[in-house]
Amino acid sequence: MRSHDWFIQHRTDYATRVLERDDTATFDAHLRNCEECRREIARIEEELAWLPMALEPVAPRPGFRRRIIQHVLEAGDSRFRRWRVATGLAASVLLAGGAWYAGGLGKQALQAEIVEHKVRVAALEDTLAIIHRAGRVLQASVEMEGRRGSLVIFADEVTHRWNVVVHGLPPAPPGKRYQFWFICDDGMVRGAEIAQAGPQMFTTGMPEGGGTVLGAALTVEPIDATDGPPQGQELAHLML
Amino acid sequence: MAEPEGSDADRRHGSESVARRTGLVELAREASLRDRLMARDEQALVELVDVATPWLLAVAQAMLHDHDDSEDVVMETFRTVWENISPASGGHTRLMPYLLRVVRHRSIDRLRQRRRSERKLAAVGVSEWSPQTVPPAEPDEAGHPGWQVHAQVHAALEKLPAEQQIAVRLAYFEGLTHSEIAARLGIPLGTVKTRLRLAFTRLRTILAGLKEWAL
Repeated sequence: MRSHDWFIQHRTDYATRVLERDDTATFDAHLRNCEECRREIARIEEELAWLPMALEPVAPRPGFRRRIIQHVLEAGDSRFRRWRVATGLAASVLLAGGAWYAGGLGKQALQAEIVEHKVRVAALEDTLAIIHRAGRVLQASVEMEGRRGSLVIFADEVTHRWNVVVHGLPPAPPGKRYQFWFICDDGMVRGAEIAQAGPQMFTTGMPEGGGTVLGAALTVEPIDATDGPPQGQELAHLML
Repeated sequence: MAEPEGSDADRRHGSESVARRTGLVELAREASLRDRLMARDEQALVELVDVATPWLLAVAQAMLHDHDDSEDVVMETFRTVWENISPASGGHTRLMPYLLRVVRHRSIDRLRQRRRSERKLAAVGVSEWSPQTVPPAEPDEAGHPGWQVHAQVHAALEKLPAEQQIAVRLAYFEGLTHSEIAARLGIPLGTVKTRLRLAFTRLRTILAGLKEWAL
């Protein structure tokens, strides 16, 4: 049996979770009956609330923001759907009819579609946020087989992500494909492959483990060149 | 004697007043964000995710040293907030401290679960989990909302004697218990407890005076 002094002495340890497992369990049991300790622990937590911000922020990996939104909304939706199905079943029993339940299933499908749309909207918002916050907008003309297009980069310096827009390119020549590159101080790092035709827009983070990013380039590569440095014709490059 | 017009004192009071007004505006904006979250406004969720994610990832990665685990914990944190958001008067008064607390607790839970698994695996001769090398964050003073709070909290930590800083880092940012810290540093358990007690007492005093950041 611990004295109350022991709990007073270890309040901060409990609030910051440095107590051993057994001591934590003892403290948990004590808190159930001690209003004073509960109040004091809440106060300690409040006073130390900002301490985690001593750490430097970490830029999220590309697409992570979208995954969070998807994760949160899908969870809420699945709970809603479970509740809806249960209600539908209960109603079907009460009304002794299957038609209502079938309608419920239709609504479920609609609900799933809504979530899908929400995720797309979140992705678009993510893209727009990058464009809106872009500290730098870089543009280069691209000429290919008599057609003039462009490469545009919206560089978001908050999240260290780029929104890259490529448009006006003809379909890549047979056996070739368009390739986006990061120009780093220790060499060229392969970025996204650009689809064969039509305007393209994608979001990219900075390459992991490479050197400092100095710019970007667009090339036409042999279709089977999937690693190593650029081998094909450079169409455009942009320096930060 | 009355101070002349435009004196330092006037300017000081003026700037304090501006800071107070700015603080009130920020608090009002955060209250509005909370209301929108409670009303299931998805744009509010997007705004919250945008501002808070880099700070939450910092906590999770410092503890877990693993990108995937850290991202899982951050996603769960947002889900928890989305599902449990309540009026400001009903408990958690500020969003960011709430998020920071949730992400830290969840990281510690995951860390301790992992350590228990490691001990079990070690007992049957299976090699232990090896942490990823997580690259350090790239600080960006101008860009990150909340950087001022970070600078102040970081400075508060730096004011502690070196041995207390180490104890706090291991306890608070790596989730070690008293005995684990003692083993890691090769010092008596009582010394660890004393260092942490002194450090947290001082930090509580310093941090209580900080200008808080409203989302």
